[in-house]
Amino acid sequence: MIRSISAEWIKLRHSRIGIIILILPMISLLIGCANYYFNRTVLQNEWYSLWTQVSLFYGEFFLPILIAIICAYFCRLEHLNRNWNMVLTAPVSITSIFIAKLWVISILILIVQIFFAALYFSAGKLLGLSTAFPSETLGWLVRGWLASISIATIQLGISIRIRSFAAPIGIGLCAVFIGLGMYIAKLGLFFPYSLLTIGMGVLSQDNLNDSELILFLVMNIIFITAGSFLSIHRLKKTDAV
Amino acid sequence: MNENAIVATNNLSKYYDQICRVNKVNMVVKEGEIYGFLGPNGAGKSTTLKMLLGLVKPSEGNVTIFGKDWSKHRQSILKQIGSLIESPSYYGHLTGIENMRIMQRLRQVPNKNVEEALRIVRLENQKNKKVEQYSLGMKQRLGIAMAILSFPKLLILDEPTNGLDPAGIGEIRELIKSLPQRYGMTVLLSSHLLSEIEQIATSVGIISDGKLLFQGDMSLLKARSRASISIKTMDNGLAIKTLFPYGFMAEPKKDRFFFNYMSDSQVAHINKLLVDHGIEVIRIEENKMSLEDIFLELTGKERSL
Repeated sequence: MIRSISAEWIKLRHSRIGIIILILPMISLLIGCANYYFNRTVLQNEWYSLWTQVSLFYGEFFLPILIAIICAYFCRLEHLNRNWNMVLTAPVSITSIFIAKLWVISILILIVQIFFAALYFSAGKLLGLSTAFPSETLGWLVRGWLASISIATIQLGISIRIRSFAAPIGIGLCAVFIGLGMYIAKLGLFFPYSLLTIGMGVLSQDNLNDSELILFLVMNIIFITAGSFLSIHRLKKTDAV
Repeated sequence: MNENAIVATNNLSKYYDQICRVNKVNMVVKEGEIYGFLGPNGAGKSTTLKMLLGLVKPSEGNVTIFGKDWSKHRQSILKQIGSLIESPSYYGHLTGIENMRIMQRLRQVPNKNVEEALRIVRLENQKNKKVEQYSLGMKQRLGIAMAILSFPKLLILDEPTNGLDPAGIGEIRELIKSLPQRYGMTVLLSSHLLSEIEQIATSVGIISDGKLLFQGDMSLLKARSRASISIKTMDNGLAIKTLFPYGFMAEPKKDRFFFNYMSDSQVAHINKLLVDHGIEVIRIEENKMSLEDIFLELTGKERSL
């Protein structure tokens, strides 16, 4: 497994994915901050109000799209030049090929989350927020990360299956809107794309109660394990093209 | 199964939408040989090789490599196989050496293997260049370097000289020929070029329309290249009629008639009979059947070789 993970890291060298990873959180933060700045009269809850604005664009839109882009990018590397032939004839298990990709993508998303938190903190300071930095932020980021791994599992599976780069991202975008609908219909805990909305406290900053938190964790574990199992099974059973 | 068989397939078949692409192939590759897998384009060579590597799942039959059943020992088998299938696989945004490092990590081989493999394919001076800037021939050589990186017991190369210039073809051919002796590898390579297989392989398997038509030593195939005698006279019709009562059955074709291989004394006898009957003989020639003719006869197709 370590061998596969280390091979995946090498593939990221000289890649431009790093620029996208930095730019998308920055764009979402800038839009969020602008919204906050021009609506300060109604948004009076300092850090919490700022979070409602920046996380809305980030968690509801840019982050899931970023996850879809990263997953599509990793698979594009393999779809090009028949690289699946090389990957699938290496003496490593199919499981480790998939998990290594998911692992590296998860680490990248973690970096994005930390970067976004730093941006949020800096923006708050620049906007002159005087109250204490909310302690809930850590929970939002960690839960957001967990939900992001669920989304990544599904997006990775779609990108392995579909050779196109854009189509899985388009599917991801549709899923984001379905996720919003599921959230509003109070079924958000049963759909990975709305788990992100819940986990990051995008539309409601109220803390999850214990049972909701357990359900949140269980659902993420189910999406990650079931999604991984299906993709690994498919890689094992189907012919490389 | 043959005792020293490295690869053995048993009725290996593959159907795509009920169309049979590989039909009950029983291939045997013995240790230390260079097995040339020959067939026209679309004959099922790549599909067969992909089934040996697990990239394509057989519809029927099974594969045994190093005496182990493929379906049960995937990883331990793959550990000892190096391969280059269809076109070379590479990450264009990475340098040659970085591509090799990916393979090195996956195969857990020491650094010296990377250097050695690059040296063998003569890419050591280009290793820091991005692969997308490589020529097709260089990509092909990188593919071969990745295939031999672990100095595997079995090397599977699909059309390895594709895209190489004549000098490169010669170089790679010599390299492949040296692998069994230098590193104890068994090589299975495919080609649609008879001349290439003829120059490299010690054994040959001929496939056409998914069926393995011939398999055996190269020398066995060459032995089939029997000679025929062709004769041209001033009156071929009369000549054939004249020779028939003496037990010589000729086959007329164009402006001459043919006999299957015959001894020198038989040829002398025929010549004498013709002259005695007043038929003027213009030419008597021996025609050796080329490997190409045998190939065409086996595959039954006038396809490009």
